[in-house]
Parts: sequence; structure tokens; C-alpha cells
Amino acid sequence: MILNPLPIHTSRFGGCTITGALSVTTHVRNTASIVHGPKGCTHHNFSLLHATGLDNETVTLPALVSTALCECDIVFGGEGALLRTLETVAGSDVDAIFVLSTCIVDTIGDDVAAVCSRDFDVPVIVVPTAGFLGGTFQNGVVNALSAIAGSAGAVPVHDCVNIIGEKNLEYEVEENYAEVVRLLESLGIPVNLRFVHEIAFDEIGTLGAARLNILREPALTPVGDFLKLRFGTPYIPVFPLGLSGTLLFLESVAKLFDRDCGRVLEKERQLQDDTLARFSDLHGMAASFDPAMNDPDSVNSSAEVAKVLRIRMGQPNPGCVCLGPGSPVGTSGVRRMLHRWRRQIHA
Amino acid sequence: MPECTNPLWPCAMTGAAACLAGFEGMTVVIHGSSGCYYYPTTLLHAPLHGTFILEHEIIFGSEDRLNEVIGGLSGRGGRIAVITTCVPAILGEDIQSMLEKHDVILVDSPGFSGDVEAGYKNALSILAPKVDPEVRGVNIDGVCLFDPFYAGNVQEILRLLRIAGIPAGTIFSHDRLEKVQHAAPYTIGTNEDFGSGIGEYCGGTLGFPAIKSTFERLSEVFAEGDVDRVFLELERQEERLVKACDKYLLRFDPPSVAIFAGFSYARHAATTLERYLDADIRCIGSRNTPGESKYPVELVTGLDGVRNLIGRYNPDLVLGSSFERSVCKTGAFTGITPPLRGSVRLAPAPFAGINGTLILVEQVLNTCMDKKSCL
Repeated sequence: MILNPLPIHTSRFGGCTITGALSVTTHVRNTASIVHGPKGCTHHNFSLLHATGLDNETVTLPALVSTALCECDIVFGGEGALLRTLETVAGSDVDAIFVLSTCIVDTIGDDVAAVCSRDFDVPVIVVPTAGFLGGTFQNGVVNALSAIAGSAGAVPVHDCVNIIGEKNLEYEVEENYAEVVRLLESLGIPVNLRFVHEIAFDEIGTLGAARLNILREPALTPVGDFLKLRFGTPYIPVFPLGLSGTLLFLESVAKLFDRDCGRVLEKERQLQDDTLARFSDLHGMAASFDPAMNDPDSVNSSAEVAKVLRIRMGQPNPGCVCLGPGSPVGTSGVRRMLHRWRRQIHA
Repeated sequence: MPECTNPLWPCAMTGAAACLAGFEGMTVVIHGSSGCYYYPTTLLHAPLHGTFILEHEIIFGSEDRLNEVIGGLSGRGGRIAVITTCVPAILGEDIQSMLEKHDVILVDSPGFSGDVEAGYKNALSILAPKVDPEVRGVNIDGVCLFDPFYAGNVQEILRLLRIAGIPAGTIFSHDRLEKVQHAAPYTIGTNEDFGSGIGEYCGGTLGFPAIKSTFERLSEVFAEGDVDRVFLELERQEERLVKACDKYLLRFDPPSVAIFAGFSYARHAATTLERYLDADIRCIGSRNTPGESKYPVELVTGLDGVRNLIGRYNPDLVLGSSFERSVCKTGAFTGITPPLRGSVRLAPAPFAGINGTLILVEQVLNTCMDKKSCL
């Protein structure tokens, strides 16, 4: 791939808003996502989501409907095609319809919001996307989460948390969730809603019931702010990452729920010590981090683990083992990362 | 065009990239966003480049960005082809003029202009292949990076030509770029869905009867060749194939089959399975416009169509892509259509030629026997 990026344009490689938005909307069961644009855009994304599902050992066949714009629609406008598609999909047995627009639709100026504002006897949620003209993959995720959250109303608050914006295309998405649940359970706090991961449309109505939202990553801060504004729910901006990040996460959650976490922290520290002891053979080894690892949270949490294990980290060079990339969620994530490091170092 | 649920086939831009990236000496640049770039890159496993345009370039023009990227690629020895995606295609920019200082081939192939075959044919036509009467040999066409069997097909047909002592001409589209302008006067095919239209067509290589007929024609053109060696191998391998199928039929009933593929591959699979296994070909769901067929055939562009056909015909065996495999779930399945995800494929298996037919039948027999033994 030719990069030649201008420094200010790292978003050039950020992928498509449609893909990001679909990684969210397709996780609401019994709904359809309409992609307003040529068929190819929908095929690309369907193929990607399907491949990701196969990687995760699930057969993923999300209902993605393309308005299948052809050349004449591009010339004369595609609103008619969108209306026809909405009417057809609304006539099927779905709980809600998400409408996403492509870059070509944004360019020709179709008024997607106006078409979708008609009554279709089923909730129609417009997700601002516009392909690359709407930003990057991450913008698509944020916009989809915010658009879907907009359909939820106020409900009584309980002692529980929401998990916000899991990376549904991530290979280890379930393992990361399980680790967060383990930590929360150690504090006696249940999860209310995985927003959005394999949920029913009517579950979205419970979004405001949590006392705390836990965001997957800081890039979701706009969603956290939106939910705070809408429901008054505070948030933690990132999953527990690395050793101290995990302990800090426990402290932060406990504080918000007014729980004493002294014994939980002690137990988790012990687990971390036991985990690190199993990798004492890595002491004194030389390595560097993969240059592709550019997320500061991942770099910092990995660097902390390397420091504790006294792995000598240097700059990448041909004679040096390259570690990563990785984003160790919780102590379990650190353990899995260290197994990979051991394999890489001893390879 | 009516709406389409879960479209199964890529767009014209991907087809153009599949054609151009097959030629050594061609540097392919997708003029569009990163989202448009990533899909053909992951699907074709070819070194593609991109302009990765942003909103800024749509508003103020993409000339600077194009020159930045093309300038970085120029002088590396390769001919540069720029493929336009949907938005750049309608902006009305005179890209050819913008890039006049770089010797660039411009391929206008936005996704909305059609499917993968249309983009492939458009790109190939822009390369303007020429027959060179001085070239002695036979071209191989129908080779497309999008096809998971393309590499195996090339190896297999080159093998057969070598056995027959007939020189190979240009391989469309998997050859050195300069050979596009020096194609041989005769052509044989591996997949008619991606035919080149270059030279006199001597026939295809899908299935034993087609191979026999094609090499008979080649023997007329290349009198110095020794096609009898191909016929001998064909005879021997067909005998092995017949024995294996008869053995299967001693224990099992023939499978009822639904086939989902490009029409050319689907027709070959149907004919072969009926001929050797007495299979009941319940239906063909063609990814592209179907031609004449004695089997029930319809154009199937979306996953609902696949579900409908499988539900209507209830086949024992489904041939198709990983999409079909997901629909038929626990039923017997053989992968012949892209994408083939969720399984490891390393060796270049052919679909065309003698070995292509052997592999098809071998996979079908093993799949059916595995399934029967599980029941």
C-alpha cells in the first residue's frame, strides 16, 4: 500500500463509516440495515462481516439490504429507490430498520432524513454515515451508537453497568467482555446491557438504567458524553488495560458504586503476581514493540508489563524481537499477551 | 434496479482491479477512499495502491492528491493504472489531463456501473490487447484474481499445453504487461465469464468433453503439437474418475445438488456431476446473467435468493461460496465460488483442465461420503 500521508491526514486510512456503523447495527437482532448506495458497497461490508463472524466461530448473516443504485439513480436521484426499499423492508418482520448512506448518495444530495421521516409502522433510525465523506470507521461506530441511543428513554436507575461500544469485529471480543464481567463480579456488580453486542431492539430501552457506563476505548468519549447528557450516567472511558489499569478500573468502579474494594484489589494483585511469576523466563530478554502499535493506551499498558518483567525494550531493528501489537484487557489479557510474547521471543 | 438483500457479488471497481493487478509491470491505484481500497485488497491478495481521498479532495479537487500518490509511484518501472471509484467518477474532474505528465491508464469503473465481470471486461478493453500474428502459441483467458482457482487453472492449462507441445501465448489476465500487446492468434478459456475476446477462440477447458474438443481444434492449428498425449491422460484420468464414482454409487444414491456460482463454473459443475454421478441437478443460482441451460437456472444476486432456492429444492449437496455454506449449515457443501472464507486454502487448486474436474469430483465424493457416514 502506498501511504504518502500528510501528517494531518491519518484519517485517510481510517476505513469507511459504513463498516463502522454496520459493526454496531448488525448486532441488534431481528433488525435490518439498509445501505443506501450501489450494491457493491453492501457486498463489501456483508462479506467482511461474514468473514469476521466465521473467524469468531459464529455464522453471521446480518440482514443488509442495498438500495442497489445504478447509473440512472446516480443521475436522477436515488430517493425513490430508498423509499421503495424502506417500504419493502418495513413489510417484513423486523423490529427496526437502520438506514445508512454511502458517499455517492451524499455527493448526489439525496435527502435521506426526509425519506426516512415518513411513517413505516416500524422504527426507522437514520445513522449519519455518508461513507468516507462522513469520516472514518470510528465515526461510523460513534454515530451508530449515538443514533441508536437516541431511541432510548429515561428509566429507573439500578446498581448495574452498561458496556458501551465493544469492538464487535475484534477477534477476542468475547474474551475481553468475559474479563470485564469477571472484574465486575468481584465487586458484585452486574452488567445491564452490552450496548451494542447481540441484543434485542427492545433491550435498548434499558440503556438509561445503569449507574455507570464502561466505554471500550477513549475514542467513544462522544458516546459517553451523549449518554451522560441524556441519562446523567457517568462513564469510565476505557476497558481495564494492563496491570495498573486493571487495578485502577476496579478502584474507579468501586468508588462510583460506593463499595470497599480493598480485598478485591489485594486478590487481583495476587493474581497479577502469580501470572507474572509464570513468565519469569522472559527476564532480561531484549525486544521492541511493533511499530504498528500506535494506540497510546495499548503501548503504555504493554510497556508497563515489559518493565515489570524486566524485558529490555529498545527500538525496532532486524536483530530484535518485535512484540505486539496487542491491547491486554485485564489480567487475563495480560496473561494471553505474555504467552504470545514468549512464543515471539523464543521463536 | 430492485433492492438487494445481502448482495453476493463484488462491484465493477473490484473487477477492474482484479484484471489490472494480474499483470506484472502494472501498478494499480484505486482512486477513492480507504473503505473502497480495503475490500479489493483483502479479496485479491494483490499489491494495490490507493489515493485514500478525503472530503477535502471532493470539495477542492483531487489533483494534488493524485499527483502526490502517482508522483510517488512514478519512475519505479511499472505502468500506472488509476481506477476511479464512485464519487471521483461523478465529480467530472479531467483526471487524464491532471496526470498528463505521468503515463497513466485511466479506468473509469465506479461500483455503480456494474458487477465484477463488467469491471474486468472494461479494464481489459482499455488495455487494448492486440494479436501479434508473429506469435506462435495459444492464449489462455478467463484468468481473474477474483477467482480462487485462477492460479491452479493457469498451472493446469500450462501443463496440458506443455504435454501437447503447444506454446503458451498471453495469459489474460495473469502475465507480463507487455505481452498484452503481443497476444497469440488463438485462445483457449478457463472461465468464460471472464473471456477476453482476443484471438480466435478454440474452446474452453472446463470438463473432459470440452478439453477433448478444444485440443482437437488445437491439433488442427498446431500440426506440430502432440495432443494425443493429452487425450491419453484424459482417458486414463476419466477412467479413474468413473471408477471412483461407480464405487460411490454402489453404496449411495446420487446426490441432489444446488449450485451457486458464475454461470460458466456452475454449468460445468452441473454437467460433470450429472455425467459421472448421475446427480440430480435441482437448480443453478447463477451469480451473473445465465446462458442457455438444460437445468433450472435463475439469476441469484442476494442471500434471500439463495435461501429461497435451497428451501424450494432441498438439495443433499450445495456447491457455492462461504455464504451458501452458512445458509446450508450442516448440509453437505463444496466450495467453488468466491469468497471462500473460514477454511484454509494454500495450494493452487484448479477448476479447469483435467485436474480441475478431478478435484471437483474428489471434493464432492468426499463431502458426500463424510456426510453420509455422519447420518
